[in-house]
Amino acid sequence: MQDRRKAAAWTARQVRQARRTAIPAIALGLAGIAASIAQAGCIAWVLAAGLSGNPGTTPALVLFAALALVRAAIQLAGEQAAFDAGAQGRQRLRADILARMLAAGPAMLRRAHSSDLAASVVDRVEALDGLFARWVPSAALALLGPALVCACALAVDPAAALILLLAGLLVPVGQAVAGIGAAAASRNQFQAMARLQARFLDRVRGIATIVLAGRAEDEALALSRAADELRARTMRVLRVAFLSSAALDCAMAGALIALVLHDRAALSAGHAPWRALFGLLLVPEFFSPLRAFAAAYQDRSHATGAAEQLADLPDLPATAPTAAIRTVEARGVAIAFEDVRLVWDPARGAALDHLSFFVAPGELLVLAGPSGAGKSSVIELLLGFVRPDEGRILINGHSIADITPQALSRLTAWIGQRPTLFAGTIRDNIAFARPDAAAAEIDEAARQARIDEFTAQLPAGLDTPVGEGGYGLSGGQAQRIAIARAFLKNAPLLLLDEPTAHLDPATESDVLTSLKRLAVGRTVLMATHSAAAHAFGGRRIDLRAGSLAAARGAA
Amino acid sequence: MSALLRVLALWRTRAPLLAAGLLLSLLALACGVALLTLSGRAVAATLTGALVGAGLLVQVLGPARVAARYAERLVTHAATFRALADLRVIFFRGLAGRAAGGLGFRQAGDVLQRLVGDVEALDGLYLRIVLPLAAAILLVPAAGIAAGRISSVAGIAVLLLFAAAAFLLPSVAARAAAGAGRQLAQASAGLRVAALDSLTGLREVRAFGAEARMTALVASRGVELVAAQRMLAGRVAWANAASLLCGQAAVLTVLIVAGASPVASVVACFLLVAAFEPVGALPRAGVAAGSASASAARVLDIAVPDVPPADTRQAAARHQPPLPPGGGLQFDRVSFAWRAGQRPVFDSLTLDLPPGAKAAVLGPSGVGKSTLAALALKIAVPQSGRVLLGGLDMARLPAADIHRHVAWLGQTTHLFDDTIRANLLLGHPGASERELWEALDRAAVGDMVRSLPDRLDSWIGESGARLSGGQGRRIALARTLLQRAPVLILDEPCAGLDAETERAFLTTLFAETSGQTVLLIAHRLTGAERLDRIWRLSSGHAVAAAA
Repeated sequence: MQDRRKAAAWTARQVRQARRTAIPAIALGLAGIAASIAQAGCIAWVLAAGLSGNPGTTPALVLFAALALVRAAIQLAGEQAAFDAGAQGRQRLRADILARMLAAGPAMLRRAHSSDLAASVVDRVEALDGLFARWVPSAALALLGPALVCACALAVDPAAALILLLAGLLVPVGQAVAGIGAAAASRNQFQAMARLQARFLDRVRGIATIVLAGRAEDEALALSRAADELRARTMRVLRVAFLSSAALDCAMAGALIALVLHDRAALSAGHAPWRALFGLLLVPEFFSPLRAFAAAYQDRSHATGAAEQLADLPDLPATAPTAAIRTVEARGVAIAFEDVRLVWDPARGAALDHLSFFVAPGELLVLAGPSGAGKSSVIELLLGFVRPDEGRILINGHSIADITPQALSRLTAWIGQRPTLFAGTIRDNIAFARPDAAAAEIDEAARQARIDEFTAQLPAGLDTPVGEGGYGLSGGQAQRIAIARAFLKNAPLLLLDEPTAHLDPATESDVLTSLKRLAVGRTVLMATHSAAAHAFGGRRIDLRAGSLAAARGAA
Repeated sequence: MSALLRVLALWRTRAPLLAAGLLLSLLALACGVALLTLSGRAVAATLTGALVGAGLLVQVLGPARVAARYAERLVTHAATFRALADLRVIFFRGLAGRAAGGLGFRQAGDVLQRLVGDVEALDGLYLRIVLPLAAAILLVPAAGIAAGRISSVAGIAVLLLFAAAAFLLPSVAARAAAGAGRQLAQASAGLRVAALDSLTGLREVRAFGAEARMTALVASRGVELVAAQRMLAGRVAWANAASLLCGQAAVLTVLIVAGASPVASVVACFLLVAAFEPVGALPRAGVAAGSASASAARVLDIAVPDVPPADTRQAAARHQPPLPPGGGLQFDRVSFAWRAGQRPVFDSLTLDLPPGAKAAVLGPSGVGKSTLAALALKIAVPQSGRVLLGGLDMARLPAADIHRHVAWLGQTTHLFDDTIRANLLLGHPGASERELWEALDRAAVGDMVRSLPDRLDSWIGESGARLSGGQGRRIALARTLLQRAPVLILDEPCAGLDAETERAFLTTLFAETSGQTVLLIAHRLTGAERLDRIWRLSSGHAVAAAA
């Protein structure tokens, strides 16, 4: 319930923002309506002249033809404007959503799968196109269009204007009477439909599991049963909901009948025939924006589905202006944790509990301990992905809170359990660490990380594409790319988070050898519980449940 | 377009309802057009002092139109819901037949998602393509006849102009949409890859300070997508403008000859104005048809396989001895390639797994470990050699029997967005409450489930998103244990788990499968496995390694 209210508020905010970009589309739509009203005048004039045996209709014909060209041009421009409104809205929203996700950082991945996040950036944003491009303009035109038609009718035949006005007012009244509860019910129904669709997608994704469990036929029957049930319920709702569409049809038919009756009386009383024909021709003009609006309601429902996911994203953090740290690269980096406490989830207790330790410049510190002891939390704090709830973290004596993310990122290189390979070549992937690096520097980093050993066998060497749709690298090869990135970046602080957790023993020892070379001359923190990695050397501290268990001297 | 016709052919069982919807829709349309036309005629008749009946007819047509529209909406929606439900079930059955051919087994999650998108793209086939086209077929001759009553030249001109708007321009728009389809697909795939990269690599992006670069990349891919869409939208807008001009030219034609027959001209003019509203919407229907036909072709490819799955029926028809309980698994000089002409994954592979044995096959990614699972489950059939289950050649066993005897737990084993109970029952639909808890306890996840407020009826979210990785894997294990299959294939069952969780999971797994034949396929061992034998896969052969 609250989710829905949040989504509704979010959608309303989007609509407000979209109104400004929709102004050209609305203005052109209104101009189009004005042109077709003028055309209706021409048609009425020519036909009335024919009926009363009046020649001399050429000016009206020329005007009609000219207006036709104008209308076509306006329609062309209007469609472009609507497209632009949709495109601008989508691009603004996409940038906003991505910025929020990047700002929230890796903590996002604890709550949602990356493919679901990507669906928000791509599919859910695209699903909002109809809201920006069609619903917002048509909502405005549903009021302005009939008002303009009514005003023109007033100038020609006040009675016709009154009939149109009454019919127009009948639409919302009729919809309200017929649709008490129908709107809410149809919204629920839309959600039920979306759920059925989600169920279908889920079953398709798990098709292998279903087939291998020998349950394909049962699931097919269940799917068809669920669809039948939903259809029966939907049709019950639609029977009522369509009454409100019938209100629109009723209003239009009523307006025509009333106009015909009025015209026949008026014509007998000497009313000008063209006024009567003009009044009739205005009826479709009057109702056409209302119909377009009713059709665009689907776009609105579509948007509501997407909005529920998008409204839930965290807000952008207020950008705290922080002082850039003074350059430290010449001397290396010292790190101090002072009484640091970190809570991810209050229900699970503190991940780090009053943890204090110090790492001298150029020192190698191994963080040991079972999984869940807080090793990764230490690394994530140093990367600036999270802030401590209590205590301070100092880098060369400066609190980490005062260092800009850019400066912090310049200081550190990081290697995790499984590096992400981006779509592109191996060379692109290494250059990710420093996009402005020269080709020779990348070659050198690849050599240092022993990447040349396996790229020599690949058809295009370092220029072999990897990542999505590219060549599949083994875990050890991917980890070497991460090491090459760190070599290329050449940062004074190296953070290693279980870098060999997913490697077989032979590959693990190869990777450790490369890491040892990388560690020379840097301050290194390595979180690991691998026995082989403990032979890496350096000082070791053991974490237990977020606190220091025991410290040992240099191994 | 032929693909769309073939989809319509799949709906033949719904033909009466679909046809009823079509007729009602045409009736409502005829009433609507006649209503405006006769209103004009009534006014014209008053002027010429003839005919009083027209006004009366208008008063009858008004309510008739409202009623017909209401009935049309109900019937067409009911028909379309049924037809779409049918299409989904046909697609699902076809896919289930295909799943045994590899799709859905080899981590093809987004391929499947795209296919579901294709099925959705067909939602508008009846309401937004078929019905408008039928309306055009009714209206175009009507417009020609109405204008023809003034003069035959005008009639022919109007007929041609309306035919151009109703058929020629929509087919141009359809072709433009079909042509832009590939470009659009490419641009949207580019955007998706950029978004997925930025988000999967969130840690890298933050650690390397690449936020601005990735934002710029996603934005530029977004611009490319918009450019592709703009090109299509532009072509459609031109088609719409041309269609509007055709309609206007038709009205102008009637106006020019209006002096010849004033009342007929009023009738023709009002009819053209009323009829152009549905006809003018047709280029949009053409665009929908253009993009739906590509989707339809892909959906049909799955839903109606050219050759029926070679497997089940024929194999079942043949006489075969019943499978013995227990049962070992043997690979006897098996050679296999996924596609003819491709480098074979296995070349005369021989493995022997006696009943109750625990074995592992190791090897780096890309040597065909998952292919081994596919062969053991008869998802794939070897080109030469035999796979034997309990001493019987799998080629002679129906796949359904094999799936009862060989359970599979892999990295792509799916947890459904449903309750824990529903997920478990998939393994054994008749399982009692006690059996479910027993399986959960054996998988060492019973206590966790007991601690949930809704226990077995807790909703686990998309792919088990509300559980931790280890808990999800244990629920999947409980489901596998419920299957009580004598042979268990484990294909990287711990992929994505951290090392500690992985070890704990494997310890439970090997303790709880003591009576079963187990084949573990992995890229390395953790030390928690209890194995009788180990093979290493390399270049299509299995090499025994120390156990």
